[in-house]
Amino acid sequence: MRLNAILVLGLVLVAPLPATAVTVTTPQGSGEVFARADLFDLVALLRLTGASVQFAPAAGSYSVTLGEHEVQFTPGGSLAVMDGRLTPLPGPVRLLEGHVVGSLATAATLLAPLGWTLHGSLAAPELAKVGQAEQLDVAVVRGTTGSTVIVRGTKQKPLVTATQGGVTLEFAAAVELTHPVPAEAELLGGELHQNILTLRLASGIELAGSYSLDDPPRFVLRLARAAPAAPLLTPRGGPLVILDPGHGGEDQGAKGPGNELEKDITLAVARATAARLQAAGLATRLTREGDETVPLTDRTALANRLQATVFISIHANSSAAKGAKGAETYYMSADASDPQAAQAAAQENAGAPKDTVQLILWDLAHVANLNNSARLAREIQEKLNALQSTRDRGIRQAPFYVLTGATMPAALVEVGFLSNPDEAGRLLARDTQDQIAAALAGAISDFIRNPTPEPTAAVTPSP
Amino acid sequence: MRTARSYLAVLLVAVGLAVVVFLARRRGPIPPPTTITGTAAPTPIPGQLVLFFPGDDSFLHRETREVPEIPAGNAARVRLVVEELAAGSREGHAAALPWAAAVGAVFVDREGNAYVDLSPPPPDAIEGTDTELAVAFATTNSVVANCPGIERLQLLFGGQQVATLGHLDFSRPLAPKLDLVAP
Repeated sequence: MRLNAILVLGLVLVAPLPATAVTVTTPQGSGEVFARADLFDLVALLRLTGASVQFAPAAGSYSVTLGEHEVQFTPGGSLAVMDGRLTPLPGPVRLLEGHVVGSLATAATLLAPLGWTLHGSLAAPELAKVGQAEQLDVAVVRGTTGSTVIVRGTKQKPLVTATQGGVTLEFAAAVELTHPVPAEAELLGGELHQNILTLRLASGIELAGSYSLDDPPRFVLRLARAAPAAPLLTPRGGPLVILDPGHGGEDQGAKGPGNELEKDITLAVARATAARLQAAGLATRLTREGDETVPLTDRTALANRLQATVFISIHANSSAAKGAKGAETYYMSADASDPQAAQAAAQENAGAPKDTVQLILWDLAHVANLNNSARLAREIQEKLNALQSTRDRGIRQAPFYVLTGATMPAALVEVGFLSNPDEAGRLLARDTQDQIAAALAGAISDFIRNPTPEPTAAVTPSP
Repeated sequence: MRTARSYLAVLLVAVGLAVVVFLARRRGPIPPPTTITGTAAPTPIPGQLVLFFPGDDSFLHRETREVPEIPAGNAARVRLVVEELAAGSREGHAAALPWAAAVGAVFVDREGNAYVDLSPPPPDAIEGTDTELAVAFATTNSVVANCPGIERLQLLFGGQQVATLGHLDFSRPLAPKLDLVAP
């Protein structure tokens, strides 16, 4: 009897569990979509909109096209490319029983650029075409003193409230987002609930101001790092040199064969350079005074806030090519430094004729700054070349994160290769550090005291 | 009598479970699994790739490599180029990607941007500007050189958008830098 009972129960229990399906309501009717708990078949959902969904095995990604819009995502990933914009998804895309699934929030994010929204409950989701509500496009532009959040597409002036760790924008009428709120260093993302847009800010970042602009209609929020405990003094009158010892604290930088640490060498060279500059009568400040972690953006921000005359970031190099040796000096790529500031200026000043003049003035200042950065880099490199033991590797342009947004002539110098055993040994020697410091101080002094621009002012952007 | 009661109890349990299964199935028909529609299989075209690897002189050096098949689609071609680059130089140059980099997803958009997701480098794999320049521009230069229509490349690491690996700005697609290529 007991055996029979077990057999009957077993037969019932091993019968295949039912796959669940939910009915998704669409403007044309409805469709069945595979679902498990809070995960939905994304491909089926997307196809209900009439979009073409193709999987490219070689790329490992799905491509969704509807009209002019294109969305790409990959199973196992949490990023999507939406109309050319790399966008984080609220949750990962997964494979489940042969279906490509994601949460409702992920589905809604993928649907947004296609002009569709997803409403309703987990049991009865509703697909709808984007309606008459204002379509907001939230963009972030990183600036020198903080990011600017631009909410395009609204004529409303929302009620702005600074909250713990964020900002809320309450609109009088319902709004919709064309894209998810982008995430970057200072703005961590955001969510829209009907007419309230909540923006999440990074630690230490606060709302510095907000205003609305017309033509085209947009609302602008300025973010800034919270004021430091001790206010920094802007130098009055004379030039100020900011020396940035690369890395520091938990970020050790490159390591030499004898475990020489880049962060120690850069600090020693920066201190020695500062001493020489101060002895020559030039005010100098370091971005870090000891072995501490300082974010890259804070280093440039310090120089901007103090309206420094020059900014020099000091590093020691490393290469997978073990024979690499020598010093090289970099300044910002023209094509890398232009877009952010230009974009900020253009987006904040679009429309009015006076803005064109401002843009031209900005462009002239930027080109002059780039030319001066090139001259500063050349001064440094020439002085380093004069050191007997240092091989010239020339000056170059590259998109350095720490130089982005610097509003003064700025350069990054690699004083030698820690990956080269001979050079690593020399870089650790006090004599070599003093020689490098003398070269840097001489170059900076010459640059500041001889401000004559070169006759050939044009800078060719790196290809 | 006791046996009959036992059979009845088992029968009741079985009927109960069957009812549960029946009701669950009424929630909706089982949708067919998502059909994965593949793009047309590319025609094998044997050919050459031009790859860039770092040298001792801090320049990137061209290396031509025969491959049995160059895929027709750009996404597949981008993957091939980066995988060949990750496999290392055959002419003695240093590694462009100095860790066992695996290529994850590849995206190619209509703006001429390619996005390649690489397995993240271990903490000490990328040290120094030159190493980072090689990662960024050996990859970008190689992809742009071999994939018509691709103008910029953004590297992702471990499925994440990364602002920097310590020096360079990786937060957006990079254009190739031909001034880094050895004359």
